[in-house]
Amino acid sequence: MKISISKWTKSGSPWVWLNAGAVAISVIMVVCLIGLIAIRGLAHFWPADVIQATYVEKGNRSTVIGEVVQIEQVNATQLRDAGIKVALGIDSLERKLLKTGNRDIGGIDFSWALARDLSDINTPAMLFTAERYEWGNLYGFLRSLKQGDTVVNEYTGYDKSSQYMGLWLQLDKSLLRAQRIRDKILDIEKDQIGSINHQFERLRLKKRSMQLDDIADSGVSAEMALKSSELAAQYKVLEDKLVSLYSEINRDSISVEVSTGAVIDVPVANLVRIFRANDMNQFNKAVHYVEKVWEFVSEDPREANTEGGIFPAIFGTVMMVILMSIMVTPFGVVAAVYLSEYAKQGFLTRLIRIAVNNLAGVPSIVYGVFGLGFFVYLLGGSIDQLFYPEALPSPTFGTGGLLWASITLALLTVPVVIVATEEGLSRIPSALKEGSLALGATKAETLFKIILPMTSPAMMTGVILAIARAAGEVAPLMLVGVVKLAPTLPLNMNYPYLHLDQKIMHLGFHIYDVGFQSPNVEAARPLVYATAFLLILVIALLNLSAVAIRNRLREKYKALEM
Amino acid sequence: MSEVKTANIDLSSLIKGQENLKFADEEIMLHTKDLKVFYGDKEAVHGITMEIPKNCVTAFIGPSGCGKSTLLRCFNRMNDLVDNCSIGGEIILDDRNIYGKDVEVAELRRRVGMVFQKPNPFPKSIYENVAYGLRIQGVKKKRIIDETVEWALKSAALWDEVKDRLHESALGLSGGQQQRLVIARTIAVKPEVLLLDEPASALDPISTLKIEELIHELKKDFTIIIVTHNMQQAARVSDYTAFMYMGDLIEFGVTDTLFTNPEKKQTEDYITGRFG
Repeated sequence: MKISISKWTKSGSPWVWLNAGAVAISVIMVVCLIGLIAIRGLAHFWPADVIQATYVEKGNRSTVIGEVVQIEQVNATQLRDAGIKVALGIDSLERKLLKTGNRDIGGIDFSWALARDLSDINTPAMLFTAERYEWGNLYGFLRSLKQGDTVVNEYTGYDKSSQYMGLWLQLDKSLLRAQRIRDKILDIEKDQIGSINHQFERLRLKKRSMQLDDIADSGVSAEMALKSSELAAQYKVLEDKLVSLYSEINRDSISVEVSTGAVIDVPVANLVRIFRANDMNQFNKAVHYVEKVWEFVSEDPREANTEGGIFPAIFGTVMMVILMSIMVTPFGVVAAVYLSEYAKQGFLTRLIRIAVNNLAGVPSIVYGVFGLGFFVYLLGGSIDQLFYPEALPSPTFGTGGLLWASITLALLTVPVVIVATEEGLSRIPSALKEGSLALGATKAETLFKIILPMTSPAMMTGVILAIARAAGEVAPLMLVGVVKLAPTLPLNMNYPYLHLDQKIMHLGFHIYDVGFQSPNVEAARPLVYATAFLLILVIALLNLSAVAIRNRLREKYKALEM
Repeated sequence: MSEVKTANIDLSSLIKGQENLKFADEEIMLHTKDLKVFYGDKEAVHGITMEIPKNCVTAFIGPSGCGKSTLLRCFNRMNDLVDNCSIGGEIILDDRNIYGKDVEVAELRRRVGMVFQKPNPFPKSIYENVAYGLRIQGVKKKRIIDETVEWALKSAALWDEVKDRLHESALGLSGGQQQRLVIARTIAVKPEVLLLDEPASALDPISTLKIEELIHELKKDFTIIIVTHNMQQAARVSDYTAFMYMGDLIEFGVTDTLFTNPEKKQTEDYITGRFG
């Protein structure tokens, strides 16, 4: 037996098993991580059944309506300590977390209930879930639809009768109408009035800068006054339009019977969507699911980021990473070229190399502090003094923004690009360099025509690593320009189109904000997973596109095996 | 060791030996005067004075490490690329010292082209490889580039093999083809001197033969200096041969004479295979 073990050891198979095992564990861990995040996050959008049940607590009977979000086992002793009577011999009890919504009535969205206290659990087909722009979800039975004060249609039963369905049909129409008006309002508020405001602001700044420079040009002043009054007139028109649209959108309302039996009125304008989850078949649920996921990736957030979408965060993240790449690539490449091609190799270059490598190990929050102190306050402050004195005391670049966030990240990732590019440069066979020089090319020509193109795959490797590091970075960004809510995108139709001074949202920070700073942690938890999943997806996509570019470059310059 | 000593003692007669071979001024392409090459403190080439004749093939032979490649790389200042390398003495090309202060190295290298031991085509198309030197010189006209590429490839006896795939990658060619491509690339800029550093040592016998035939053809238009380990090759392709040993030029003469009737014992020992 002993001999065979020593033989087995000699054969090298334990080593192979060890290596394979390490790889397998890594792969399993990654798959589990992504799987957990994906399942937890993506399951959130599936329309859950809404239950109606009788809840008995300390002798009080009440009706509860809500979605079962979570089920867990609680230790009996723990319950006993809390003053709940649990029969001896029972170790644990099942407890359900119900999303009961109706925050405007009950004050809370979620409540725990012991499973034994819930009875008569059923899922009535006509029980609906309504997502609202304010106050969170609403659960209940539709009772009537009103236009102003007149009741258009009403129904008192709970069965799925054709009459009830007629009422629902009318509601759907009313909802569609409200949404169309809302789109118009949004268009006016966000784009048209936004654009007018932007022009107003620029006029104001121009006036202020003329004041500061002591220029008194009556012609220009008159022109500006004219422009100003023109804008005011345009604004007035839009404002009137808005007023009428608002009165139109608020025309309809519904009355709803909620779990307590009370009937409340809810304006249709406040509804995002309304659906009866219990009455949906799998296909309808799938359609609903896709709609919800699409909303998540394409809409602005609502309700302190706990509802709606995260599009501005996706956009901000991608924008920032792209800007970072644009800044870090040339800078890192030029530095690497100097270090390995031009600089005299010696003690100093070795020192610089060590410094560069160590820079990659500096904790990222330190970069954030540096970015805040140097870029934002010093550079940004000076830029404001020199170029935007008319806007002071409100800062333009003297506060965190897209530009500073990108530059801070670029600084954070520049060592990676330098190291990767140097690695690539050192792999170029010297025979090719000599070949080019022997043909009468200068060093610079050789560099640009032969060496740099051949090094481009290595540069892309550097950029890939930089993207991977930058996209996931959160800590420094909190100091230099990422905020909780910034629905205005840094890229829009207002001059100068790309607003480098604007604050942005970021997926990583969004996770932190939603998960730990939100007033409604229970509601936000699935969104944390969903956002994390999306962040991984965005980073993977950015990386894959960089990898695709690198592979194409490699294909083009595959001479390195010479 | 005793042979090394003789080499040092024989230096005076060596110069006499060279005096037997006198070229007229207009026949001389390159003229080295007391050329010394140092790697750091170590002297690798000990003061060589020789004349390279125009439109001839001159071969440098000698055992490994004798300094023949180092000497060759002096002619187009390729040694400048070696960090701790320094040069003493002069190399005269057109009445000017190529190590003079006002010499532009890139211009010199255009006039004195070089082909290396291992084929080193650029990772570009065959066409672009040959056109590279022209583009560096700022030639923009497509017609001129086309003509030159065709001429260079024909001169390098490669045209027939690649004319249908000029725009494919040069890295798809065989070793021998690659080496001929590199020769074509080098002659495309119309240099006056062609330095060949063991151009066939990495190739199979058939490719070697083709390169040798090519050298024969090319000497009409170019002055060729070839470094080779292969004495048969030197005997086959060159008009003049220089035998080097331990950084010294031992003997320089007409190839046939040097191989059949060497003046120095060291030369004889080397070419008869007694050492080296």
